[in-house]
Amino acid sequence: MSTRILAVEDDERIRKAVKLALEDEGWAVTEAATGEDALLHFQQQPADVVLIDIMLPGIDGFEVCRSIRRTSDVPIVMVTARDDTHDVVAGLEAGADDYLTKPFAPKELSARIRALLRRARTSEVSSPHLRFGDLEIVPEEGVVRRNGRDVHLTKTEFRVLVELAQSPGRVFSREVLLERIWGYGYFGDGRLVDVHVRRLRTKVEADPANPRHVVTVRGLGYKLQV
Amino acid sequence: MGRFRLTTRLGLRARITLAFAIGALLLSTLLAATTWALTRENLLNQREDSATVVVYENARIVQQRAPNEDSLATLGALSRPLGGRPIIFDGDEYVGLTPEFGQDALPRALRDTVVVGQPARMRYELRGEMHLAIGIPIASAEVAYFEVVSLNDLEDTLEALGVSLIGASLVTALAGAALGWWASRRALRPLTGVSTAAMALATGRLDTRMEAGEDPDLRPIAASFNDMAQALQDRIERDARFASDVSHELRSPLMTLAASIEVMENQREDMPERAQAALDLMVGDIDRFQQLVEDLLEISRFDAGVVHLQLEEVHLAELVMQAVHHASDADIPVELDAELAGVVVQADKRRIVRVITNLLDNAAKYGGGADRVSLRQVGDGVEIAVEDHGEGVPEEDREMVFERFNRGSAAGRRGSSDGVGLGLALVAEHVNLHGGRVWVEGRRDGEVGARFVIELPVEEHG
Repeated sequence: MSTRILAVEDDERIRKAVKLALEDEGWAVTEAATGEDALLHFQQQPADVVLIDIMLPGIDGFEVCRSIRRTSDVPIVMVTARDDTHDVVAGLEAGADDYLTKPFAPKELSARIRALLRRARTSEVSSPHLRFGDLEIVPEEGVVRRNGRDVHLTKTEFRVLVELAQSPGRVFSREVLLERIWGYGYFGDGRLVDVHVRRLRTKVEADPANPRHVVTVRGLGYKLQV
Repeated sequence: MGRFRLTTRLGLRARITLAFAIGALLLSTLLAATTWALTRENLLNQREDSATVVVYENARIVQQRAPNEDSLATLGALSRPLGGRPIIFDGDEYVGLTPEFGQDALPRALRDTVVVGQPARMRYELRGEMHLAIGIPIASAEVAYFEVVSLNDLEDTLEALGVSLIGASLVTALAGAALGWWASRRALRPLTGVSTAAMALATGRLDTRMEAGEDPDLRPIAASFNDMAQALQDRIERDARFASDVSHELRSPLMTLAASIEVMENQREDMPERAQAALDLMVGDIDRFQQLVEDLLEISRFDAGVVHLQLEEVHLAELVMQAVHHASDADIPVELDAELAGVVVQADKRRIVRVITNLLDNAAKYGGGADRVSLRQVGDGVEIAVEDHGEGVPEEDREMVFERFNRGSAAGRRGSSDGVGLGLALVAEHVNLHGGRVWVEGRRDGEVGARFVIELPVEEHG
């Protein structure tokens, strides 16, 4: 069965053009013109990747993103009209895994989607069972436990945690994490890393404001405290 | 455009202070002069009156004694509480106690008046000192009695008074100046508020308003300032909205075009040759169009003042090398000062990358491609230079090349159709936003070509 992409975009012409381009990549595309439509479609037939335009009539892209995140860890790509910090960070905070700024080349979108899909699969590569204080990571099962209780992470958050945990104590620069997790080169947006780390901390840290596991190394990046 | 002159050569505050000082000086001088004149007149009159009393007393003694006694003996008998020098004119000669106070000590006019039988007194200068002479004719004895009283001690007193009055005037003038300075400061303090507010407005804090306060004189200023600020804010917000509207309006059709053309490109091989050629043209121009729209939006955001640096810690040398590597197909050597290797700066990565990309693009389009990028420390900053081997930029175009839609006269001659002439204007905006500067000069190694230089201030972080 081919990969299914749910494309949420209110502009009919853009939606059709993107659908054509994505279908050329061999993917099946479901269209949705409104946020309500998108949620309905997603309930009936969960997609493998969701593409959401932030500017939607009715419930906006952020809200659609949050609603999907409540029940699913499906990779989500946000489409923003502007790359200003507010929209990008709000989109990532709402649970998006990556973002693109309009107008983007469909080839770029395909590359992003492939990176997200690859990531979801490679995270199942087996690694030893890892334990850091109250934190327990079981990469094979895709499970993280804090104080013995399951912590629910999105696939990207999980991947960030495993990447850091595979070399505990080593400092990872934003650029390295962008490359390994999102498939970006040096010029990826560091905010992707920052917001994902922030989201990760709210889930795995007892006190997210004073992280004990995922710590910032000023000027260098992040590391997992041993 | 109206331009209102607010200052003359001297500052407002200096002028108020000066006016106060001059006013105080004039007033106090007038007062001092009047005081001095009145005091002098008073003192002299007093002295003259008491001298006259003494002289009349002595004259009576002379009247009694003169007919019987030698003049000199008479003189010896007189009392002189004021230190007066008595002189008797006995009809032939003037007899005084000492030779200096004889006939010559008396002014001629006085002598003449008294001798003809008229009592008189006169102030005059004798041997450089002020004196008072009083003469009384004594008809019964056929003599005249004169007395010369020195007024020098009064002169001393008056001089001392004068000095203290001048001193007081100067002090008053200084006090006036101080008062003026204080008053002008008080009066101008609200203007300091205006200038602070205007400054805040100019640096982009558009919601800056002035407090009207209680002062009825200042309320109109505050009100008109606030009206102006509101109008400015409305205008700028309208521009900013326009930029974002344009953004959305232009991006949507571009998005459709970009996606559709990609679909067509996938089918390129199935197309007839002529359609392929047309498609290639479209693909190229969609890219150009996209770049133009992006540049226009970027620059309109600068105009609307809605641009903010997104600072992060960046390894500058690595960033420049990555940007050069990313932007150029050919390998352009990057020369680097050793001490810059580990320098981490606070910078907006995206903007710095754009700056370098645009400079390399510019070199590629108008300078036959960059052949060297160098990075070196200069003072508190870092200098990044991009050099090419083109024709260089003529002296008179060096400012102009950073203006919008200006490719310089050389570019015009070459008739290049590439680029939209916003690249260097954006470089200037991005660099300014970082507090740096950008300029173009000739190559330093003496060869022909342009050297575009950006200088960024550096705050080191380890």
